Amino acid sequence: MKKKWPVLLILAVAVAALFLPAAGLHVHAQLGAETAALFPDSLSLWDVISRGASALPVDQVPALSVLHLGRLPLLLGMIAMICSALTAFLRRKGMAQLSLILACLSAALLGAGTMQWLNIEDSLLFTVLISAKAWAYVPLAAAVVLAVYSLVALKGAEPVLTDDKKLRLISACLAVAALLMMLLPAYVISVPDTITANPADASAMNRSVSQYSLILGKESNLYEQGQEKGVYADILTGDLAQLEPYSADANNIRGVFVIRNNNTALNAALLAAAILLLLSAVLALIPRVDRWFPLAAGALGAVLLCTGTLSILSVGDADMYSSASRQLLHLGLGTITPIPLLAALLAVFSAAAGALGVKYANEPYFVNPVPEKLRLRFVAISLAVLALACMAAPNITVSFTKPNKTKVQATATLSGVDAVTFRAADRLANPTDSKDKAVYGEDDAEYSAAAVNAATAKTAKTFTWLTWLALGLTLAALAVILLNRSRKLAILLLLAALALRLVTWLAASSGLPRAVATGSGTLYLYASLPLLIFAAFFTNFSHMEQLPKKYKLFLMMLPFLLAVFLFSYLPLYGWSYAFYNYKFGVSMDQQEFVGLKWFTEMFTNAANRDNIVRVLKNTFGMSGLNLLTSWMPMIFAVFLNEITRTKFKKFVQIFTTLPNFISWALVFSFAMCLFAADTGIFSKFMMSVGLNDPANPTVWLNSSQHIWLKMWGWSTWKGLGWGAIMYLAAIAGIDQELYEAARVDGANRWALMRHITLPSLLPTFFVLLMLSISNILNNGMEQYLVFQNPMNRQTIEVLDLYVYNITIASGGTALYSYATAIGILKTLVSVTLLFSANFISKKLRGESIM
Amino acid sequence: MTAIDKKLEKAMRENHRKNKQKLSRGDIAFNIINYAVFVLITLACIFPFYYLFINTISDNELVRLGQIQLYPRGIHFENYVQVLKIPGIIDALFVSIARTVLGTIWTVGGCAFLGYLCTKQEMWLRKVWYRLIIITMYFSAGLIPWYMNLRMLGFLDNFWVYVIPGLVSPYNVILVKTFIEALPPSLEESATLDGAGYTKLFVSIIMPLITPILATLCIFSAVGQWNSFTDTMMLMPSGKNYTLQFLLYKYQNEASSLAALVRNTQDSSSLANVATKQTALSVRMTVAMVVTLPILCVYPFFQRYFVKGIMIGAVKG
Repeated sequence: MKKKWPVLLILAVAVAALFLPAAGLHVHAQLGAETAALFPDSLSLWDVISRGASALPVDQVPALSVLHLGRLPLLLGMIAMICSALTAFLRRKGMAQLSLILACLSAALLGAGTMQWLNIEDSLLFTVLISAKAWAYVPLAAAVVLAVYSLVALKGAEPVLTDDKKLRLISACLAVAALLMMLLPAYVISVPDTITANPADASAMNRSVSQYSLILGKESNLYEQGQEKGVYADILTGDLAQLEPYSADANNIRGVFVIRNNNTALNAALLAAAILLLLSAVLALIPRVDRWFPLAAGALGAVLLCTGTLSILSVGDADMYSSASRQLLHLGLGTITPIPLLAALLAVFSAAAGALGVKYANEPYFVNPVPEKLRLRFVAISLAVLALACMAAPNITVSFTKPNKTKVQATATLSGVDAVTFRAADRLANPTDSKDKAVYGEDDAEYSAAAVNAATAKTAKTFTWLTWLALGLTLAALAVILLNRSRKLAILLLLAALALRLVTWLAASSGLPRAVATGSGTLYLYASLPLLIFAAFFTNFSHMEQLPKKYKLFLMMLPFLLAVFLFSYLPLYGWSYAFYNYKFGVSMDQQEFVGLKWFTEMFTNAANRDNIVRVLKNTFGMSGLNLLTSWMPMIFAVFLNEITRTKFKKFVQIFTTLPNFISWALVFSFAMCLFAADTGIFSKFMMSVGLNDPANPTVWLNSSQHIWLKMWGWSTWKGLGWGAIMYLAAIAGIDQELYEAARVDGANRWALMRHITLPSLLPTFFVLLMLSISNILNNGMEQYLVFQNPMNRQTIEVLDLYVYNITIASGGTALYSYATAIGILKTLVSVTLLFSANFISKKLRGESIM
Repeated sequence: MTAIDKKLEKAMRENHRKNKQKLSRGDIAFNIINYAVFVLITLACIFPFYYLFINTISDNELVRLGQIQLYPRGIHFENYVQVLKIPGIIDALFVSIARTVLGTIWTVGGCAFLGYLCTKQEMWLRKVWYRLIIITMYFSAGLIPWYMNLRMLGFLDNFWVYVIPGLVSPYNVILVKTFIEALPPSLEESATLDGAGYTKLFVSIIMPLITPILATLCIFSAVGQWNSFTDTMMLMPSGKNYTLQFLLYKYQNEASSLAALVRNTQDSSSLANVATKQTALSVRMTVAMVVTLPILCVYPFFQRYFVKGIMIGAVKG
């Protein structure tokens, strides 16, 4: 390592974070103030390490001893970290590698320790809440940073184990060892006979559970036995008592005990980890396989195993009451063994050995041994299969409503499978999902049950046939790809399926009588569309040796396009709110369509019109003031340029740009202090001059007088120096020979400024002026938001602020649709202004500003 | 050092020499007025910072009476000690730091890579995608659709709303793209012959060459993240993930209750001392100072980068 001081810095941060409060303790009021007083306000990680469970008042509240405050992993982790930092300073061979290994070890240990400890959250049978604070994660973060830093610093270090074979062997052995560890007991459950009514139950519950048995789901046995009865530890006495069976409507969770076996997430994680580790071990031993594969499999397996281990260690989490034995464990009827932690560590080291193997390998770049042609085909096939699955999944939700009622009366969900089995018509006409099947009474003559049934049945039939066809086409396309026949045919089939999908969707949503029932596609439908497109895309290249570069680049670009779509284009969908009477929390199908009501209301409703006129006046007034003075930064720059002392010039430049870097909230703080009516320096000054009456001081800041001017003053204070930088840059670009020539002709300073500097700045000024004209409506809201108060609201409210005030800030009476309508008009006007400014610029200067 | 820098320096030196040669009376008068005006402007920019600072370290009783105007009196640092004890302020500091660091890395990394991709002529429909990205600079859907969209995507009360939506910023993409286009293409060609892919090219060849522009983007993005508070106000209805700036904004309205809170946590011995007793004013000013200090601390270091950065932008525009 070349630079070593960062190591000490990281270490210092980690050690300092040990002593900061890592978690707050909140004691439920139910326990009473006396019990609450026994608890400290917060716990630091050091408390846990040094005192363990006795950091909590175990003497007074015996039930607390049930908690596993994992002090050992934390302690070991910190020791490993210190050792890692110390070894980093030794200059012997292999020390850098040792430091890396120790850093990884400490990261794993600290991760396990912190997580185990923090997941006690919500524990103690829901009466004492331990809520984690950000500091708790700092040592862990520091350990990770240290590991990354040592890895980076290894760049120039001498490799210790240059032999790739050795590393492969080590990696495989470690992976196998981790796998074997999974067979050993992860935790031991011991239930005394006295707790259960039947001693046989207790002995059936006593067991040791390994990660292997978790994968196999052996706990179901325990589930059956524990289903009817359970145990419960009282928080104050620590006594174990029999519990009532769980009832669904009980809202008091405390004292309700249910043993369910739904730990599928944990089981799946462990299973996947086992498979991946095995794969990694096998692949590592085959020399022909690229090193990246065992590394990738090993790393993923290690992560999953760590997740599973953390989940085992953190028995306390209430949401995670996933299996009977873990629940018993949480009640203190058993102990956790360190074996899962060890297994996870071994897996991590196996992955690390793989990484070292890659690092010291000879080939510079990753070479994938599977030919790209095969991969392309594989991608195309899997995309088509996924699309097929999405089509068969539930994809049309039909909501039935009574005419003129917004409340949904019944819903029916149709899937592709329904369509294929011809059940769609039945289900739509007679929604079985409905609690109350008689949706339409006799009085709704127009919408008699028979008529509705006929209409929906007709829609459903269309839907059925179309879905059938779409599924068939996709299957055919799949067959064509699998048999490696004409790929053009496959693309055509897939695109036809796509078109059919769209038609189906339209048929289902528009074929129904709108006032009665509306259909909407769900996620699966939307998912199947892009999947089909991409399946067709990849099919196109399945015959090629590799994907053409232009498409490879496009695929790289795709995530960014997706982000742009999600955050810039998708909000445009919200413009539709302007045509509805939008109510919060009601689905779009059920909103009342009002057409252009909100747009006309803006001008016909007197109160609204007055508001709009007032707000526009404010907007134009304040933007206009800024526009009128937009020459100021230019003059600032011109005169600053006349200053010859470079140091002074830099000084001015630095400090006049400083205000640009502080937020408006801070500017308001400054304003508040400087212009406070009784104490501010401005008031005091005015008093001493005699312009302000000390007994009855003028309110400078909150009054509504001259508010435009004041706002202009603040924005100038903030932006003047910053705006000048652009012009200073432009001045630097002026050809010096012009000045020379003018001087020779006898021009003085003023003449130089007037005839050379200013004219050469005018293009920049013009562009900026045009841009600010087109932005006249978007003068932002932060500034006006912080300065607004009930007194000056009438004159400070600009368009953006007005929209905010009548919607998000107004709470219950929000006028979302109206505000959206204003927003649409604003955007349209702004875009028009921009294009006209661009047009003017092109006419006058022949240059575009966009 | 860029060519502009060199030019600027040369121009300055030359100006300097010229002016030394002969100074007429008019020139002297002009200089005096010019210097005086700039000294005044600079003072106006610095003074609020200074004023706030002396008020936070002065005797609180004198501050309350408005006696501290130009220099501190009765210096003590109790205000800072007490303000840092306000519940939530350390958490807010952490959130602010996290969003600044993560948001900056995310935005700058994303825009840099995207800018690089946009320079690739061989990309399929490159112009279409590039225009689609750039055009978002000129329109916005409006406050409500923006809010509803983030709500729909599950970003309400979610820390990641500070980070993830900032991935693509069209203006930054333009800057990076223009910068990369000015680099000689031969650099990439030789690495391509060695078998490097696009990602490898970007990381090991392009990235080191575009560090000046990346540094500038980092500064703008970091300052933006640190200063923003309206997003917290709108997108965190249940009071999670508050940032320091937002707390400052909030405290401006409720400083008196806050001062009472601070006084409650203070022990009785320091409470007796009027000079160090917290008032609404002192709490407000101290929080403001706590928010300003990080910017004041790093400002001198990054100052030279943004001048360069804006010059790159100006030369382009």
